[in-house]
Amino acid sequence: MVKLIYSPQWFYGKDILIDIISIFVLLLIALFSLKYYRIKKNRNYLYLASSFILLASSFLFKILMNLNIYYKFIETKQFGLVTAVYQNMKQSHSLFFTSFLLYYLLTLFGVYALYSTYQKQSMPNHLLLIYLIFISTYLTYPHYYLFHLTLLILLGLVAYTYSRRYINKKHFSTKLVAYSFWAITISQIFYISIDLNNNLYIIGELIQLVGYSSLLIAFIMVLRYGRKENKDRHHW
Amino acid sequence: MAGKRTRIDIIGDMLASILDKGGKIKPTHLMYKSNLAHSQMVGYLNELVEKSLIRKVKKDKNEYIIITDKGCELVQKLREIKEFEHAFGL
Repeated sequence: MVKLIYSPQWFYGKDILIDIISIFVLLLIALFSLKYYRIKKNRNYLYLASSFILLASSFLFKILMNLNIYYKFIETKQFGLVTAVYQNMKQSHSLFFTSFLLYYLLTLFGVYALYSTYQKQSMPNHLLLIYLIFISTYLTYPHYYLFHLTLLILLGLVAYTYSRRYINKKHFSTKLVAYSFWAITISQIFYISIDLNNNLYIIGELIQLVGYSSLLIAFIMVLRYGRKENKDRHHW
Repeated sequence: MAGKRTRIDIIGDMLASILDKGGKIKPTHLMYKSNLAHSQMVGYLNELVEKSLIRKVKKDKNEYIIITDKGCELVQKLREIKEFEHAFGL
């Protein structure tokens, strides 16, 4: 079986590092969201945590998928601008395919769960969309760009929702979260276009890193604000 | 218009009101500041004392409510949650 990857060889492993940073940010926010849920008992915290956990798990499978490709290839050939890596996947095909499928599915479910945290759906709508996510995962394999196009639309809706919230509330940390999601959305445009030039993959990964880093900064701001000293308090 | 306050919102408002007054407040002031009926406030105060979030002291025939360190920590935690709520639009 033949697989194509679009990352320049020198970038192998570096994208995995970016994914590990993304997992760290997602799990950190999910953990605090679960902690806040225990205090506030507001289900939105639970939904946010679940969607971030789904996204973090999807990155784990992406890493597994990439490790499978990067460390088992046997021959590399150059076709114009695109580097094609041929590999003998006979032994690891099922592991690769499972990781690939779970990466697609969990990513789409994660982003959809995030979207429905803000845009509440009825149960029939949920079932319909879950069905469509399954179908789209099945059909987009192995068309990489279709998956990223679906993700571009879903993430765009999430980023738009955050932007609307910022416009209404004018809260700086909401602005930062909106920027983060716009960055993650824009990174999808580069993933869609990797057929044109394999360096676009690197740009996509770097924009993803910017997105998750600003999400981390927004979260640190939340923590710092909460931990401000109660300066007006006297000790009686 | 803001929605109905939850139990934790009311507790947070009460503790924040005490902190606004420098950590010490008279029960009547607290009742007005936290928008509660007397009977409701008594219930909440008992719970807060039981959980060591506040303590009551008597001084010059007046009763005062004082926030404890644990109470201050809860106010900070609730402030953090509020900021998280704003940031993520929850």
